[in-house]
Amino acid sequence: MTLNLTEAEMDALESLCKQKDLSKTAVLRQALRLYQLLDTRLAQGDSVFFEEKDKKNRSELVVL
Amino acid sequence: MIDGVPAAAVAEAEREWKAVRERAGFEGERLPGSAGLQHSHWDWDRKHRSTKGLLAYRMLGIECNGQMQGLMLLKMAGCNARLPEQAGKDLVYVDYIEAAPWNLKSVVAQPRFGLVGVVLIAAAIQSSKENGFKGRIGLHSLGQAEAFYRDKCRMTELGGDPEKQDLVYFEMNAAQADKFVR
Repeated sequence: MTLNLTEAEMDALESLCKQKDLSKTAVLRQALRLYQLLDTRLAQGDSVFFEEKDKKNRSELVVL
Repeated sequence: MIDGVPAAAVAEAEREWKAVRERAGFEGERLPGSAGLQHSHWDWDRKHRSTKGLLAYRMLGIECNGQMQGLMLLKMAGCNARLPEQAGKDLVYVDYIEAAPWNLKSVVAQPRFGLVGVVLIAAAIQSSKENGFKGRIGLHSLGQAEAFYRDKCRMTELGGDPEKQDLVYFEMNAAQADKFVR
């Protein structure tokens, strides 16, 4: 399989590889696992929230 | 070792384990420090149903003599390490791990098989390595299992986690993982 990424996408991928000490394949596998998990839970009617570190603000991840 | 335990095998284990716990008088949740099993309310059927088909989860089991001797649910994504030397890096999170009640000294006088927990933790480490996480694993422990993770697995104890009912969080780095499986 060939993956065509823009320069910005490749930069993001390489940055994550460095930050996480993972290969490109490993990062993409993680991305797929999380994407599938989020998509499944959202399809079931569950919600995903981001909470700020100080817990003062919470925002819902809305997928349209 | 079964990777991707089928629903029927989980249901069978749940049925057999429940019967043994009931016979031994261990069914139902009891207070920490009591003679009960803190995990006796776990429902592996439900865990299997809620994670089936999800790449972020992996259920492993040890089968011997036609019976499930232990089960473990791993979370493979979305879990970051907390130890300073590996903070922010991915790890395999051991969501649930349980040995069959007939393998527990707290339930039966003579356990049938030993080392079930050790083999499952080694499998979690192996899974971490296969995914490029270098053996990093983490978990929250019930009070009754803390000594196992601290003394037997030699994991680093990072204190009670208020986000997880104050359960103690343990983590293993790459060096600890290598030492454990050696």
